[in-house]
Amino acid sequence: MSSSHMRSAMTRREALCRCANGFGGMALLSMLARETASGAVRAPHFPAKAKSVIFLFMDGGPSQMDSFDPKPRLRADHGKPLPFKPPTTVFNISDKILGSPYEFKKHGQSGAEVSDLFPHVAGCVDDLAIIRSMVADHSEHTAANYFMHSGSGFQGRPSMGSWVNYGLGSVSENLPGFIVLESGLIPPGGLDCFGSGFLPATYQGTLFRKGEHPIADLEPAGGDAAGQRAKLDLLAKLNKGVVKRFGEVSEMEATIANYELAYKMQKEVPGLLDLSQESEATKKLYGIGGEWTGEFGRECLLARRLVERGVRFIELLTPERRGLDRWDQHSGIEKGHRINAQSTDQPIAGLLKDLKSRGLLDSTLVVWGGEFGRTPCAQFSEKGGASDVGRDHNPFGFTMWMAGGGVKGGQVVGATDDFGYFAVENKIHVHDLHATMLHLLGLDHKRLTYRWSGRDMRLTDVHGNVVKELLA
Amino acid sequence: MDRMRWAAFLLLGSALYAQTAQELEFFEKRIRPVFAAKCMGCHGPQASPVRAHLRLDSREGMRKGGDSGPAIVPGDAAKSLLMKAVSYTDLDLRMPPTGKLSDAEIADLRRWIDMGAPDPRTAAGGLAGSRQLDVERGKRHWAFRPVAKPAAKPEMAAGEPASKRVWLRRVTYDLTGLPPSREEMASYLADSSTESDGRVVERLLASPHYGERWARHWLDLVRFAETNGHEFDNDKLDAWRYRDYVIRAFNQDVPYNQFVREHIAGDLMPVKRLSRDGSFYESPIGTGFYWFGEVLNSAVDSVKSRSDQVDNQIDVMGKTFLGLTVACARCHDHKFDPVPTLDYYSLAGYLHSTAMQEAVIDSPGRGRAIGEAAAKVPHRQERRPETSLRENDVLFASFRGGTPDGWTAQGVPDAHGAKEFVGSYTSRKFALKQLWVHVLLRGTKTDKALRERAPLRVTVVADDHKSEHFFPGGKGWEWVTVRMTKEIGRICYFEIVDRARDGYLQVDRIVLSGDEKAPPLGATAEGAPEAPVPAQPSLPPSTFAMIAMDEDPGDTRVHIRGSHKNLGEIAPRRFLRVIAGEDQTPVEPGRSGRLALAEWMASERNPLTARVMVNRIWAHHFGKGLVPTPDNFGMTGERPSNPAMLDWLAARFVESGWSVKAVHREIVLSPQYRAANLPVRRLEAEAIRDALLAVSGSLDPAMYGRSVPPYISKYQDGRGKPKTGPLDGANRRSLYIEVRRNFLTPMFLAFDYPLPVSTTGARGASTVPSQALMMMNNEFVLLCAGRWAQRLEREEPDEQARVRRMFEEAFARPAEDWEVREVAAFARERGWKEAAHTLFNSAEFLYVQ
Repeated sequence: MSSSHMRSAMTRREALCRCANGFGGMALLSMLARETASGAVRAPHFPAKAKSVIFLFMDGGPSQMDSFDPKPRLRADHGKPLPFKPPTTVFNISDKILGSPYEFKKHGQSGAEVSDLFPHVAGCVDDLAIIRSMVADHSEHTAANYFMHSGSGFQGRPSMGSWVNYGLGSVSENLPGFIVLESGLIPPGGLDCFGSGFLPATYQGTLFRKGEHPIADLEPAGGDAAGQRAKLDLLAKLNKGVVKRFGEVSEMEATIANYELAYKMQKEVPGLLDLSQESEATKKLYGIGGEWTGEFGRECLLARRLVERGVRFIELLTPERRGLDRWDQHSGIEKGHRINAQSTDQPIAGLLKDLKSRGLLDSTLVVWGGEFGRTPCAQFSEKGGASDVGRDHNPFGFTMWMAGGGVKGGQVVGATDDFGYFAVENKIHVHDLHATMLHLLGLDHKRLTYRWSGRDMRLTDVHGNVVKELLA
Repeated sequence: MDRMRWAAFLLLGSALYAQTAQELEFFEKRIRPVFAAKCMGCHGPQASPVRAHLRLDSREGMRKGGDSGPAIVPGDAAKSLLMKAVSYTDLDLRMPPTGKLSDAEIADLRRWIDMGAPDPRTAAGGLAGSRQLDVERGKRHWAFRPVAKPAAKPEMAAGEPASKRVWLRRVTYDLTGLPPSREEMASYLADSSTESDGRVVERLLASPHYGERWARHWLDLVRFAETNGHEFDNDKLDAWRYRDYVIRAFNQDVPYNQFVREHIAGDLMPVKRLSRDGSFYESPIGTGFYWFGEVLNSAVDSVKSRSDQVDNQIDVMGKTFLGLTVACARCHDHKFDPVPTLDYYSLAGYLHSTAMQEAVIDSPGRGRAIGEAAAKVPHRQERRPETSLRENDVLFASFRGGTPDGWTAQGVPDAHGAKEFVGSYTSRKFALKQLWVHVLLRGTKTDKALRERAPLRVTVVADDHKSEHFFPGGKGWEWVTVRMTKEIGRICYFEIVDRARDGYLQVDRIVLSGDEKAPPLGATAEGAPEAPVPAQPSLPPSTFAMIAMDEDPGDTRVHIRGSHKNLGEIAPRRFLRVIAGEDQTPVEPGRSGRLALAEWMASERNPLTARVMVNRIWAHHFGKGLVPTPDNFGMTGERPSNPAMLDWLAARFVESGWSVKAVHREIVLSPQYRAANLPVRRLEAEAIRDALLAVSGSLDPAMYGRSVPPYISKYQDGRGKPKTGPLDGANRRSLYIEVRRNFLTPMFLAFDYPLPVSTTGARGASTVPSQALMMMNNEFVLLCAGRWAQRLEREEPDEQARVRRMFEEAFARPAEDWEVREVAAFARERGWKEAAHTLFNSAEFLYVQ
């Protein structure tokens, strides 16, 4: 491995192999049993506040001026043209101002304003640091998704979940360190949003699907679990012979050891998925059983259970809703945003409250947001009438929020202009967000590097500043 | 002190005197605090690095400026870059980046500059000038020095020789990517002559599987992919032809310098290589490598999108052929290698002068045959509807008078005439402004759902994405209208394609319009009887390929700090000066200049080309190159472990007429390669899958052709999800599985298949639990185990003999007695499929000694 980080922190596996000069299959296997599914635990650069991250990725791009960034000017000027020439957008066909159809109210002790799209999350506002001045680099989904995940608008760079696991390793014995809970919609750009890019494949995101068999190839395709054990036993015998014949080769011995680790992963998942151990009150808190909230509620609860099992980075995606394309309402925004909010609001609030009551929120960083926000002006659908209007993409100023994991809650950071188009105060770029997230995890974004293509690559490329205001 | 300097001193002095106390007070009170609070973090003495090489902490720094030029024009705020930055009017230059200054602060700055920017600060620590890169000094780096052939083959230690079995398995996997068969093993073991090794190597090099194996290594370098990725993962048509081209080139041992030239300028070569059957040109297909990168389907900024594409092309070209990370010089002079930013944009100039083309590459003979056959087809009645343009209409092209100006015709095109049209037309590039495009055409009814795969279509290509299509409806002359959305304002071109042999397409005109309604058609159109469409299966097939062509050639300007919105000096097209020097022949006007670039890339005077390639071959045989960083021969790469051996091989390579097979012989017949103590290596993803097929007895050795669609499991999802292909990939070798960028095969990825984003000369060999899960549980592996067991049960009735045979087929060695006992006992209890599956999971199956 050619990275400075890895050089400085020898993995447990490397240490074992070097110290003992390599040794035979079974002996190594039993010692490696404490090795985890996503690489050995490594010390952070400095003491960490957060141990895990839950990224609630609202892909499609929720509208800031309809959720967390009230703009009375839009209502006052509804229907008028924007007083300035807007930048090129994807569809680039409207400049008429659209006032928000939602009502905003102050909430909590902090008095932060939240629209009636999110009544439950509004109740947690004192735990949130609402960033109203997010800025990203790309106006269309795919590049913006790659960018939000990897700090680059192109395919093939490591996702932040991969960087985090590369930096810290995973404390989860039998689960991957980067898990994406999928409920039917993969963001544009595909699974590369969660890829490990040039980092070793160990760190790639594992897709967890709905239902009983969440992970590909976790169980035998035939389903014969008893046979599996018998095969592993025969395999162990054969592999002993291989080690004798080929000599003691650390990579090959690790391959052999992986079979036992894989077997343990196989055993771990059913327990994780079994929600019968959770109380009715807990399930209700997450909205499990609710018509709109059931699905995302279950994912939020699974996210907490994954945190408890030491998984480093958990990502949730916008749930699939018939007739809606994620948060991407170029038309019918009023109804579309309402449905998406209804599906996610209570589960998210439930997650925050549950984490808090269990004392987990302090060590779990929760991040909410899309790949960009939306424009203040109306986009009319080709056929649609006035009620069918939507908003276009806007990376120049949008809202995200963070909670827990060392974040200073109960505050609003930054501001957009009167129209909510551009961030004008305390701009926080996606690179800054990444730098701050890594900081909370005890990682210096400038020191978390991997040598590739002749350069020491970083999640933040050559950019990024830790946003001190966000830190508790 | 000479006169000039005196003069300068006096001028400076007078300038200082000109600053009145009042002005300086204004600076101290209103300006200095703003700079101190808002700018010094990035542009002051403590900044590391100083952003954009701009220092704002001194009078000189302000006036000299940074990468984008002077920050201020004293006395003229309107012309000062600083004001543009702080006013936040420009989307790309907004300072300070964390938030706009107050209106009062901005007004103060304006007033200060207008009063002449009085400033008492002097540069204490000197200015952050742009570093002058020393190309001459850089030439001393080992990789840029000429190849020095040693007088004799360099001595190199070699361990004890490995057994014949171990060597045969090793060399068979290395040269063909497949395990040796039992028969091959038996015949080699029986051959006790001194020539036996040589005979094996000749047999393997002559095997068509050799080309397949080494083509796949090559595809790693050119980030080969068959789709565009991005949101919808559209097809890259004919990408598979490039894959076949590479297989043939390795099998035919096409001289490597020819192969390199074809990649850079195969479309322009005065003498092009013909295919063996004489039906098409091989050389242009090489230029397909330019186009395998990601393509955005809705770029918001065409110019940026193109710069990004060119950057990826330079990255791949630099690493693949030169082992240099040239692309590092996009934003600043290369930090380690002697590649100034100017040289980067010299290379970029060639690529900005080059466009993609969906071309017909028929040989002249094939073209004549098609023309003759087409002439025999009865002419269609020439009845065209009259139409007149309105105020809002712009006639983009009319085909009534032949090929319109600015269009490139390929094949036997006849869109204007009454005859069948076979081939493609490509228009010049232009910025699309109108909302509506109307195309007057007729032809055989075509399925819209086929999109870019349709054999008959007119297409708007926006930033290399085949974005909108016009299909004939089979009803005679008609206007087909498409509303433009994402295409507006982007760099587009039209493409007319007819690949059909049982249908036709005729295009009369293309109109860009502000009107949703197409121009009215005259009387002839209504009810005019159409000639029946003659089927034309008699026409010989044409060969289409995705290749390069010259397009609007010219030099590019340096993009300061990599931004296309901040242009600097002109970078004349020329090769890297560290290799070719300052004195290079300028490119002829009207040409891209790629032919000359190709000569430099493949030149014996370029010490990198041969060294880089022999090192790659060495690395694939030994698991590690003589230079362990095969894509980076620069300062940050590693130095050769045995420079004499590297130069020996490079020199021999050139002497042999750039024969890749000669290098293989040199290596695999050496005592070093014969040694027992070579590092144990895990097979690559494709070799594992191919071995599963081969051992199970179901490998289909068919070569070439359209790719097999990949199998898509329920765990693979996302936009552009294709229909699944067969689980067994039609039993074809792995390199024939379609490389869909957004839907790469999970089994390949688990075993370190490289993402098709940049050059990958050395794949990872990670060891992760998902590999174990894959081998234990994946349905394809189980399928192969089942087939293998079935075949063995059929072919070998005796249990013990069956186990022995399994070991020979899977591991190329006889089983030991205890192994026979264990496996037979297991099989009796759990069945032969389970036993076969267990052997597939053995480390011995996955590793080569």
